[in-house]
This record gives sequence, structure tokens and C-alpha cells, in this order.
Amino acid sequence: MAASFSSQRRLLTTLCSQLNGALWLNSGVRSIHSTAVCNKNRAARIRVGKGDRPMTYEEALPPHQIAHRKGWLSHHTSNLNGEHGTADRTVEDAFIRRFIYGTFHRCLANELVIKRRGNMLIISALMFQKMPPRKYYFFIGYTEELLSHFYKCPVKMEIQTVEEKVVYKYL
Amino acid sequence: MAASMRTAGAALWSKAVRDFDSKAAAAAAARPGVPPLPLQHSALTRSSVYMVPAVFLHTGRVRQTQTSRSITVIEEPDTLFQKLTVLVKGHDKAVLDSYEFFASMTAKELGLTLAKVSEPPKNIERLTLLKSVHIFKKHRVQYEMRTHFRCIEISKVTGSTAQVYLEYIQRNLPEGMAMEVTKTAIEKVPEHIRTPLWGDQSQAEKTSQ
Repeated sequence: MAASFSSQRRLLTTLCSQLNGALWLNSGVRSIHSTAVCNKNRAARIRVGKGDRPMTYEEALPPHQIAHRKGWLSHHTSNLNGEHGTADRTVEDAFIRRFIYGTFHRCLANELVIKRRGNMLIISALMFQKMPPRKYYFFIGYTEELLSHFYKCPVKMEIQTVEEKVVYKYL
Repeated sequence: MAASMRTAGAALWSKAVRDFDSKAAAAAAARPGVPPLPLQHSALTRSSVYMVPAVFLHTGRVRQTQTSRSITVIEEPDTLFQKLTVLVKGHDKAVLDSYEFFASMTAKELGLTLAKVSEPPKNIERLTLLKSVHIFKKHRVQYEMRTHFRCIEISKVTGSTAQVYLEYIQRNLPEGMAMEVTKTAIEKVPEHIRTPLWGDQSQAEKTSQ
């Protein structure tokens, strides 16, 4: 009787251990435990390379340096607390940047700076001296005229030209 | 008295214009929000400039008006303001600092009493968005928008002076800054409240008795 009890008990314990414990602990199988990968932020950041790529100040600094070492590229009041028209201004800005990038083909030395003062839209750009000045004047007049008709507000362009790319760092 | 107040306002405007032409240039050059004039050789550019800059100069200066001919005298009395509050909002604290200096200097030159120049606490609006286009709910990105404030309070001004001051301040407001103006006017007590009613009532009772 006692012998049968103990044997039953041993069977029970082995069964229990097999059920309770994990299968792979006992059977000796290993597998990889993983969670979803958290990638590093890559927005507007240029990774360090060999050191032959010239970078302007604007390109070299990452976006978390805005308001610390960088300024803003578009100045308007829509993003302030209690002000309206955020999406409209943003869409306008995006359109203006693409428009000017296309009009002045490969002439832009740096990103555009768009300012809104009262009713006026002021576009400040830094350009290379690729075209003769007469062509520049024509394109500036054309841009101002077209954009002012499109946005129904006075548009002014302020251009400064530069011989070659203004380099801050080589990455 | 009101007419003289109006003319005084216009005379102040002309004086302000004459005095500020030079000061505005200095203030404009000092403020970081103003774009660089095309001819200036900034630290970044090393080369000569092709373009003629006169066409593109927008300094925002106030032109001198011929004040001796255009002073208007109106008979109706000028409104009086007990308090004029100018609240300026912006993203950049340095620009706000320089604008506060500019506005307080303007008020001092015009002879206005600056009751209070304060800095209400900044407001930060934060957004937490998903980092990835599809799944990965645990990984998010946070953005924030900071709004800094400055409050300039001027007490006891007339309507024309307030108009002059505000117009000058607003013409030179930098881009990316918003302004809210609150005026507290002083009005005369209306006729029907001037004398208390109980004086008339007691007389009426006496006459009836």
C-alpha cells in the first residue's frame, strides 16, 4: 500500500513538474526573445561620414537645436498659443518652397526663409551666382507677381547672392 | 481742451517721427528678428554681391509727415484710457526682450507712464505622436510649441496718444510675433444716475403731505 502510494506520488510530481515548468526548461530548447526595435531618430540629421561632404550651418545642426543654436525658417504667428490658421500657413510655406526651388533651378544655396509681416509675405533667399543678374531680376519679378496674385497679398523677395556654398562643417 | 489734446497728439507724433528716425534704425539693427540687408557682409558670406540692394530694402521706417499742414482739430472730446495693456506673444525670447526694450523706450520718450512691464509664464503645448507609420505603439515622438509672453501696461493716456503709440509699436512689430491690446476707457457717469433718487422721493413725500 505504501509502496503503491509513493509510486503514484512520484508519478504525480513528475507530471506536475512537466506541466508547471516550461516545456523548454525541461526539454532543453532555446529560442530568441525579442521586442520591437526602437530606431534612432533620423529626421533632418546628416550622419557623420568620411569628412568630404561640405555642410552649411543649417544642414549640419539637427532639429532639436532649433531655438538653441538654430533659428526658424518660417516666421508667422499661427503656431502661437491661441492663434489660428496653422495648417493654411504651413501649406502655403510648402508650396512657396517648392515653387522657388523649381523656378531658381540649382541656384539656391540654402533653405528659404519665409516671413509674414502684417499682410506682406517676404521671401529671403541665398543664391549662387549662376545666372546673369538680368535673369535673376526677371525671375524675382515673375515670382513676386505670380505669388501675389495667387495669395492675394503683397509678396516681396529679398535675395543675397554668394559665389559658392558657405561651408560650416565637413561631415 | 479736447482740441488742444488732439493737436498735442499730432505734434507728439511729428516729434516722435523726427526723433525716432535715427533711433528706429538703431533699434531695427539691434533686433535679431530683422532680416540682414542684402549689402551687409555677414560673417558667413565672403564674396562680393552682384545685386543692387536698393530695390529690396524694406527697413520698415516711418516716413516723415508734413505735420504743419495736416493737423486735424475735432470738437468732440478725446476718449480717456485708464489702462492700455499690450500683450506680446512670440516663440523667440530674445526677440521679445528686444521688442520690450523698444516699446518701453518709445513710451518713455513719448512721456507715457509705464505702469508695469511683466513676463507672464510661458505656455508649452506638447504633442505625442506615433513614431512609425504602421504599428509600434510603444515608440512615440514628442513635439512641443513654446509661446513666451510679455505684458506692457501703460496707465492714464488719451485716445490720440494711445493711437499714436500703438500705431508706431504695431508698424515695427517683428514677424512671428502676435500682439493683443486691451484698453480700459473712462467714461462720464450717465445723467440719470448723477443725483440719487431718494433725495427726490423725500421731497415728493413732503409735498404730498
